[in-house]
Amino acid sequence: MPQVDAGQAIDLGSLSSLIGSAPPVVQGVTYERILRARSEPQNWLTYYGAYDGQRYSPLDQINTQNVRRLVPAWVFQCGTTGIVAGPSTYAFEATPIVVDGVMYVTGWDSWVWALDARTGQQLWRYKQAVPFDTSLCCGNVNRGVAVARGKVFFVTLNAHVVALDAVTGKRVWDKPYGDVRAGESATLAPLVVKDMVVVGSSGGEFGVRGHIDAFDLETGRHIWRTYTVPKPGEPGSETWPDGPAWTRGGANTWITGTYDPELNLMYWGTGNPSPDFDGDVRPGNNLYTDSVVAIDADTGRIRWHYQYTPHDVWDYDSVMENILFDLDGRKLLGHFDKNGYFFVLDRTNGQLVRVAPFVDRITWGEIDPSGKITRKVEPRQEGEPVHFWPGPAGAKEWTHAAYSPRTELFYVPVQDLGATVTLQRREFKESIPYWGASVVVDSQDTQGFVRAVDPRTGQVVWSWRNETPMCASVLATGGDLVFAGEPTGEFNAFNARTGELLWQFQTGCGHHGSPMTYSVMGKQYIAVPTGWGGWTEGFAPEMFGAPRGAALFVFALPD
Amino acid sequence: MATTAELSRVVNELGLNKQNKATLGRLVTHGNLGQAKEGPDGRMHAEVRIPPDELTWDPSIIVMPHGGDLDLVLVNDDDNTHCAILPSNGDLKFIWLPNHSRGTATLNLDGPGYYWFSSGIGNDEGRGLVGVIAVMGEVPPEARLDRPPQPRP
Repeated sequence: MPQVDAGQAIDLGSLSSLIGSAPPVVQGVTYERILRARSEPQNWLTYYGAYDGQRYSPLDQINTQNVRRLVPAWVFQCGTTGIVAGPSTYAFEATPIVVDGVMYVTGWDSWVWALDARTGQQLWRYKQAVPFDTSLCCGNVNRGVAVARGKVFFVTLNAHVVALDAVTGKRVWDKPYGDVRAGESATLAPLVVKDMVVVGSSGGEFGVRGHIDAFDLETGRHIWRTYTVPKPGEPGSETWPDGPAWTRGGANTWITGTYDPELNLMYWGTGNPSPDFDGDVRPGNNLYTDSVVAIDADTGRIRWHYQYTPHDVWDYDSVMENILFDLDGRKLLGHFDKNGYFFVLDRTNGQLVRVAPFVDRITWGEIDPSGKITRKVEPRQEGEPVHFWPGPAGAKEWTHAAYSPRTELFYVPVQDLGATVTLQRREFKESIPYWGASVVVDSQDTQGFVRAVDPRTGQVVWSWRNETPMCASVLATGGDLVFAGEPTGEFNAFNARTGELLWQFQTGCGHHGSPMTYSVMGKQYIAVPTGWGGWTEGFAPEMFGAPRGAALFVFALPD
Repeated sequence: MATTAELSRVVNELGLNKQNKATLGRLVTHGNLGQAKEGPDGRMHAEVRIPPDELTWDPSIIVMPHGGDLDLVLVNDDDNTHCAILPSNGDLKFIWLPNHSRGTATLNLDGPGYYWFSSGIGNDEGRGLVGVIAVMGEVPPEARLDRPPQPRP
């Protein structure tokens, strides 16, 4: 039978409505512009909106008086094609970046899209091929891009950092920086500082050694690497036992750091030690796990650290943001930890200024106002179940708090749920989960909150209670609004001063990502990714069976 | 190319039957297995066919010895129309495969790990037209952790 010529395979995206190019808006995004990001509030130039991590926008067109009129402007959806890693756990967690009317956003499974920020029209897309057997603790996710000098930077699930041409979406350079065979992966949004793209690694549940890497943003040349678990003989190594524990120590940096340009310090949170729950194989404080490390941006050298949970046996990562703010003439940082405490540190030297609980139930231990820790409930006997609050997903997971310089208040999403952990020792093998316990998180007697916290006192100023844990990032705006999504799909706007719920929209799918705001041609928009997934059995197990959609909703006031 | 009778032996020999041996995880699809041939320019070459009435790719496991570029010839010997959706850095690749047709695809894949490909129309995937490109090898030295060699499963 004669054979038909089927030709050459083409890009699947060419069979869609995408345009294929974006305006050259990123060409003019320089380090200097990112330094002053908040002075151009129409844009959202870096992961947290600005280097300080406040997730605050001065935009005030949408405010407490008119937010009730907010309506959807457009929706972007992608779904999945074929077999992906973690097909039941993928989630839409990214914070979109917006530059002069163009939105750049990542999805699960190493998708990147450029969209018209006014209409949602797809301009270009990029897809990195990802092995579907990549080791993942918690889901097929990605938290966004960085942009500068005509390029869009993102990390792939299999631990590459990739630079794309911001006009065409074509790959400019691609550098692997993690070992997928060892259980490493990558999920965070890169941070552009000066001439560098800075990234961290994932894999703390697989017994890897955490690290932060800097690459030249033009060429991809590797500039420095800092390990967050020291080798024998290095500072901090005295907090690890003799033997191989340090080689598998964890402390991964899977959430983007913040940066103080005056001090030239980046503040990166580090993850849990490995194994998560079996502390007997790693006696000592296990630096720099569960810490904030202040890193010299030029050299990667750790200048100081503060460990939020020494010798962690509860899986209390401290990767979540360290928000920089100034108060009464002091340079401070605020951090809501998985362990249930809100910390205020002097960010010049790491000294504790204040610590206070921000969740109702804390039984693992107690931290007094001086920072002294009393441990109370630990998994110590093999086979003996212990129950503690907060559970391993923490009183606050990675999803971000916000700080409004208008109200001088922090706004935090709170998860109030416990867990039962039973120590079960196991040998270490590369790429195999290395928890050292069985874990069952409570699916009853749980609740959540959005809370406003005064950093002067550590006291809760207002608290909005939810039936389910609050597992999505918070956004604060100059309109005195706080936005936060629920696991049940509602997207909420609160009065930032009172906590009154002013507006709500049911998006049809739970929130586990980060809302942001921008404006185009004088019109303010609020964007929020929805897509329920990730480690749902950890942060909201009663919602494990909830709808798994994935869409980016964008809201605006009617014309 | 391995015959069906040899399949288990070859899978075992290559270490595709265990977690994190030759590739990252355990083999999830079966069918015949073919190894891509590497040319002098470093590009790899392989061919895959759809036999009549079998709704399978032959081979359904294409082994690349390392990451890189793969020139793939696709042949549909079936009496029905299929297609191929294929993994590649940049975008998924797509080609229609009408009855008794032949086409080509150029794929760029990093290693190591399992990458899927399929015929993405109707329920070709559920009936068996799903395959794996297994990229073997290690990540480059600069991407590995600074630590002594660790035990693997």
